[in-house]
Amino acid sequence: MTLHVVFRLAGNEYAIPVDSVLQMETFSGATFVPGAPSYVAGLVTVRGLIVPVIDLRARLGLPPAALTLDTRVIVSECAGRVVALVVDSAREVLKLDLEKHQPAPGIVSEQASGFVHAVHALGQRLLLLVDLPKILGETSHEHALRGRLGDVSETPQLPG
Amino acid sequence: MTAPAELREFVAAYLVEAEEHLATANSQLLAIEAAQRRGEANPRAVRETFRSLHTIKGLSAMVGVEPIVAIAHRLESFLREFDRSGAPLPPQAIDGLLRGVRAIEQRVTALGRGDIAPEPSDELLAELDSLGLARRAPSASARSLDLEPALYGKLAPFEIDQIFRGIALGKRALRAEFIPSPARVAEGLSINSVRERLSAIAEIVRVLPQALPVSADAPGGLSFVLIVLTSASDEAIVERVGSALGAVRNIAAELSVPAPADTELTSEPPLDLAPDDAFDVQTRRGVVRVDVSRLDDAMEGLSALIVTRFRLARAVAALGERGVNTRELGAIMTDNARQLRDLRAAIVRVRMVPVSELLERVPLLVRGLRRSANRAVRLELEGGTAELDKSVCERLFPVIVHLVRNAVDHAIETPDERLRRGKPEEGLLRITCSARSNTRLELTVSDDGRGIDRTSVARKAGRPSPNDDAALLDLLCIPGLSTRDIATTTSGRGMGMEIVKRTIVDELGGELAVSSELGKGTTFTLQVPLTISIVDAFSFECAEQRFVVPVSMVDEIIEVDPQGLAPLPAIDDGSPRVDIISRRGMALPMVQLAQVFGLQKTQATPGKAIIVRRAGAPLAFAVDRMLGQQEVVIRPVNDVLIRAPGISGATDLGDGRPTLVLDLIALSVSLSALPKARGARS
Repeated sequence: MTLHVVFRLAGNEYAIPVDSVLQMETFSGATFVPGAPSYVAGLVTVRGLIVPVIDLRARLGLPPAALTLDTRVIVSECAGRVVALVVDSAREVLKLDLEKHQPAPGIVSEQASGFVHAVHALGQRLLLLVDLPKILGETSHEHALRGRLGDVSETPQLPG
Repeated sequence: MTAPAELREFVAAYLVEAEEHLATANSQLLAIEAAQRRGEANPRAVRETFRSLHTIKGLSAMVGVEPIVAIAHRLESFLREFDRSGAPLPPQAIDGLLRGVRAIEQRVTALGRGDIAPEPSDELLAELDSLGLARRAPSASARSLDLEPALYGKLAPFEIDQIFRGIALGKRALRAEFIPSPARVAEGLSINSVRERLSAIAEIVRVLPQALPVSADAPGGLSFVLIVLTSASDEAIVERVGSALGAVRNIAAELSVPAPADTELTSEPPLDLAPDDAFDVQTRRGVVRVDVSRLDDAMEGLSALIVTRFRLARAVAALGERGVNTRELGAIMTDNARQLRDLRAAIVRVRMVPVSELLERVPLLVRGLRRSANRAVRLELEGGTAELDKSVCERLFPVIVHLVRNAVDHAIETPDERLRRGKPEEGLLRITCSARSNTRLELTVSDDGRGIDRTSVARKAGRPSPNDDAALLDLLCIPGLSTRDIATTTSGRGMGMEIVKRTIVDELGGELAVSSELGKGTTFTLQVPLTISIVDAFSFECAEQRFVVPVSMVDEIIEVDPQGLAPLPAIDDGSPRVDIISRRGMALPMVQLAQVFGLQKTQATPGKAIIVRRAGAPLAFAVDRMLGQQEVVIRPVNDVLIRAPGISGATDLGDGRPTLVLDLIALSVSLSALPKARGARS
């Protein structure tokens, strides 16, 4: 049995393992970052750390929604990166039996652009398990390193 | 004429060195005092103090600061005379010595400001002169040690004194011998490791090197005689020294032998560098003191190198476009990028100082407070080996001072009150320091004082009583909750806590927590990043979003006159529109920052233009309005999701939200390097 954080997004329930969640915060907007991918809502400060925020609706190809009092950011950690996810609400932590995870049916996976890697039936409820590394995009260590020296490595691609 | 510049440089080096020796003198004097309280002598500390003051005197004479020479000379000669006399340092002498050191400090500070060091007052000089009168006549009691005269002669009177005091306390005085050899070194045994191993079970009075005939046993022709006081067995000592049992001997077996006359034996000043002190000098070798501004220069140089690298990349790309094979150049560029990255990491590393540098000033602070607040306080410091950026260290110190002062002044009760409450008479102040990760350091400041009375703080602040520690901290950090009145009724925690929070959380991007139990004590926990980068920056607004740009990048900020705008013919390739403005009669290209960043423009005409210069060619960025200039802490923005040209990091301008720090030079370079790629960014 593994603890999972359950959150809602456009009427569906999703889950991610608790070990990849650092904390949850209310959300009142992020600092826009020019040049970032369109699904990046911007930057927030979480306990002194500057953290990029992914708009999970945009990332999963769902229609945008206005912020409400229920809107939360889930600050997650994956492969050494700390990234926050904006979700409609997040209120529940559940113990899930990993054995009962089922591979996501093709259509579900397709609709969620491949970001849902498994589903979990819990009574009447159906929880969608998201593929965090995939949502965060580039995860290789090399990329994290590349950022460190800043613009030096942001060189134009050389032909040939 | 370069002489004045050299002299200035020399004075700067003098100041750094003097401060270091003053710090040593202070901490050694405190060590002597602490030893006195335990009824022990600390001859080593006396010698260290002497040496520091002696060096200060010499340095000051070299740069011609006579007032300091006068003070240092008196302190030094008192210590020398006292040391020769072999008597314990009278407690009141420590006060006088500390006052003298303080007087030197004040003058060094004045010199640092560019002022002239004031002459010492007659009162001060008289006080320092009278220090010498407090000393006792040399002890004439007959006593001796079973030690070779040549070795005995090398012992200073205070060391002999130390030995007899140790014997009086029931310890055994032993003579052990260590003969260094390559074989021993291979086993990890050197005189330094022996010292270390031995000091765990014995008090080392003195290590005396002596020459031996070269033999198979002593290939170096050298041995070290260690005079130690211990309660451990001979076998334990032998085990630590790693020599045969015969090499350990009790030197205090026969106490009735008459003593040789002290005066004969101490004809050489014992305080000068004794051979064994050479080992201490060794450990400092290879350390270079550098002004932080020089490191900044190095960083600047690196930045210039990075800009050049951009031009190189551009030139390579242009070659490629013309069909030239640039494969080999590309490989070189990759290496070059890695080397630049390593170089930047190396420069950042150079800025790191050990955390002990932060903590070594605390004992003196506590001592002063102990006196003024009439509290009995025991200080426990737990340092660790973490290193942090010099600038973090400098910002952290006032915070530590604040927390320590509050703890001693208010949290820890008077000795009477503590006894009434069934606590030890002496309050405990504990500061610990440990690296939490590769990037963060945790510091705790805790006391066993009266704790914080939550309801009382809440009443004073006119707020509901906090029900947990986090709420209590919020309450304590309310700006203005800093009156004396509240400070005393709440064990002083209200005083200036908002400044502590601002420094730790807002400026350093760290965390602050408190836990307090009424009657038991209070602990503050601080978590700070090991490095920060602080720069002077302009803040400005563009399309209703705030940004900052380091002052060092900005050539000029000008008012944009809409009349003087001359738009260039638009090229519909997605690259930003370039206007031509006139600055002092010169044409200057200008781009709209909002357009470059794809921001929604709300203001029709730009108010200001920020001009940067890269590789000689200036470029203006139009923005809406300037907000101000301030020092900001740049926190890196490393995640691949938000890496974009022109964004070098983020900062907090105090609103709890990140504000982007722009590298307009890199942005201008990338604009001209990639004229066609603009539209692709999203």
